Amino acid sequence: MNGDGTREISYLEALREALSQEMRRNPEVFLIGEDIGVYGGAFGVTRGILEEFGPERVRDTPISEAAIAGAATGAALMGMRPVMEIMFMDFMTISMNQLVNQAAKIRFMFGGKASIPMVIRTPAGSGTGAAAQHSQSLEAWFIHVPGIKVVAPATPSDAKGLLIAAIRDNNPVLFLEHKLLYGNKGPVPAESYTIPLGQAKVRREGSHATILAYSIMVIRALEAAERLAAEGIQVEVVDLRSLKPLDKETIARSVSKTGRVLIVHEAPQTGGFGGELAAVVAESDAFHYLDAPIRRLAGRDIPIPYNRVLERAAVPQVEDIVAAARALTYEGR
Amino acid sequence: MATQVIMPKVDMVMETGTFVEWLKKEGDRVEKGEPLFVILTDKANIEIEAPASGILTELRAQPDDIIPVTEVIAVILEPEEVLPPQPDLAAEGAPTPALPSAAPTSGPAISEPATGKGLVGAKVRATPAARRLARELGIDLSQVSGGGQSGRIHKNDVETFANHQLIATEKEPKGPQLPSKPLPATAIPLPRARQKQVVPFEGPRKIIAERMTHSALTAPHITLALRVDMSEATRLRSQLQGPIEQRTGLRLSFTAIIARAVAAILPRHPYLNASLAEAEIILWEDIHLGIAVSLEDYLIVPVLREAQSRNLEQIVRMLGDLLERARSRRLAPAEMSGSTFTISNLGMFGIESFTPIINPPESASLAVGKIVNTPVSTQTGIELRPMMNLTLSADHRVVDGAAAARFLADVRATLENPYLLI
Repeated sequence: MNGDGTREISYLEALREALSQEMRRNPEVFLIGEDIGVYGGAFGVTRGILEEFGPERVRDTPISEAAIAGAATGAALMGMRPVMEIMFMDFMTISMNQLVNQAAKIRFMFGGKASIPMVIRTPAGSGTGAAAQHSQSLEAWFIHVPGIKVVAPATPSDAKGLLIAAIRDNNPVLFLEHKLLYGNKGPVPAESYTIPLGQAKVRREGSHATILAYSIMVIRALEAAERLAAEGIQVEVVDLRSLKPLDKETIARSVSKTGRVLIVHEAPQTGGFGGELAAVVAESDAFHYLDAPIRRLAGRDIPIPYNRVLERAAVPQVEDIVAAARALTYEGR
Repeated sequence: MATQVIMPKVDMVMETGTFVEWLKKEGDRVEKGEPLFVILTDKANIEIEAPASGILTELRAQPDDIIPVTEVIAVILEPEEVLPPQPDLAAEGAPTPALPSAAPTSGPAISEPATGKGLVGAKVRATPAARRLARELGIDLSQVSGGGQSGRIHKNDVETFANHQLIATEKEPKGPQLPSKPLPATAIPLPRARQKQVVPFEGPRKIIAERMTHSALTAPHITLALRVDMSEATRLRSQLQGPIEQRTGLRLSFTAIIARAVAAILPRHPYLNASLAEAEIILWEDIHLGIAVSLEDYLIVPVLREAQSRNLEQIVRMLGDLLERARSRRLAPAEMSGSTFTISNLGMFGIESFTPIINPPESASLAVGKIVNTPVSTQTGIELRPMMNLTLSADHRVVDGAAAARFLADVRATLENPYLLI
């Protein structure tokens, strides 16, 4: 531990710390989900929390995603701050009616007299050999729905600060955790803190091209940037962190500076969030600084394969980002 | 998307090019990067590559046409694409500042096609950044050639174009190096004789004439000569010949050894690697060695750039490459200009010594003669030694006789003991 209380802990531990600290701070915060209590969560995020807070605040449920979402929405409507967990993002489909038609709409249906302060935590993404029904990245569906916020942290310290901010937010927040990030370690302050939703972060400065990324693709983009730097190519990596609300200012500033933009995400390209990001760039003042077509590097438009080689090939890897950013940098130069 | 083929600006001060020939015919399928046509610039014949793949059409340049740079001389269409008729383009309302008909031409007028059909309308492919910069600088994008995919204009292309324009407009009025007007016609009557051929006084021949006249008339030449004993240099060459040939596949020439020696010595004699520019003398850090080469009809000077930092093997490789491409006329203009010192070797013709004219804006030039076995008196008697004449011409405005002599003596000392180069 440093003098300022910052330690190296994992993404997973940072999430657990955020949950515990908020539960200690506010008795209205409670957890609900499948296997989150005795078992500690499918990936172990909530391990040990039942022991501290008891079964009333750490509620194990049957396999019942619609009920979890409905119960959380109702509790939030009554003034609680539920943090619900959907074991795999793929199962969000079952809870969608409650989230899209109820949680996202109630504030508006009641003319602002009611609010739904709830968080939906869910592990997303591929890379674990879990095949097509346990590996999806469905964020675009939720970003599309007014009334829900969506965040996707890439680092342990962001995971903690954004989760606390999400719990304190008075609206439904979908909180995306990438399965491959859980074990990643990084410096995280011990005390409770928030990172405001809607603020992107420039993770690496560069002048030749901008990479817009979120979640695990930030980590891969940084690795790619490191390799490109050895060739003399300086790419700027912008970690969006919050997909909705979106920090359009930071995006436009970076793209205006570099004149070239590569958008990277794991979700399939067609209908993916990258299309929205491309439009945001094109509509912004950064358009006038674009010196090459906007490029997207995203998952292939296929269900995630079980075969490990194919699974890897289905989504952008570091070498794909290197190749795409290099090609973009040299276009017309 | 139709791609315009233009008379390129291959040299910073180029304003027109003489069209030599098409390498493809109307209607031919061409591939991007394939040689498309040949032009004659002030310095050389240059093959120009196709800027895009497609069907070549609208050929408008004829051999010997003198064409302003950037003028469209053909179009490359995608298969089955037809050129849009002009009225459609007018109706599009011009959001692109690139249409020649809509944009005020600030630079030299680009002649527009006489007929309504054709190229006026081909839209310019340019990135938003390139368009913004062109707007800010008042540049007509249709004059800019694009370096991107399918001739797309990037910011970089606009910057390059702007820089060239700047250089062209800045340089011309001042004309520090070249007389801006042709030399006054001579009043001496021509002899009465039968003519065999009348050769146009143009292109490289004219440039050489202008430069050499300018140098001879403005730079007071001092010329110094000495003889160098090439015994050790010859021994060094025969020792290194094998390894260098093995590594480079090229012969080790005396020119390369002399170039290496000069490049090693010049840093100690800055005024011999200098340029007189109006009110100041610029001493160059870099040694860009011009190596004069005679082609059958004229002289060119390919440049060994930053020769001071090249070892012998690198010089052999660079020289080999430059000379080979010079002889096959594949040198780019940039590779034949910008030297800071020139070496000219006529030894291979049996010439024992000659007096060079300084290649402006350099301050000196070294002439190399043939190596001749000559009786030389030594301490033990008279020996036959391989002797070589070096003749240095220096611009007396910049270099005094003693400085020139010290340099030349240094060159001799180094060639007589070439192991100093190690």
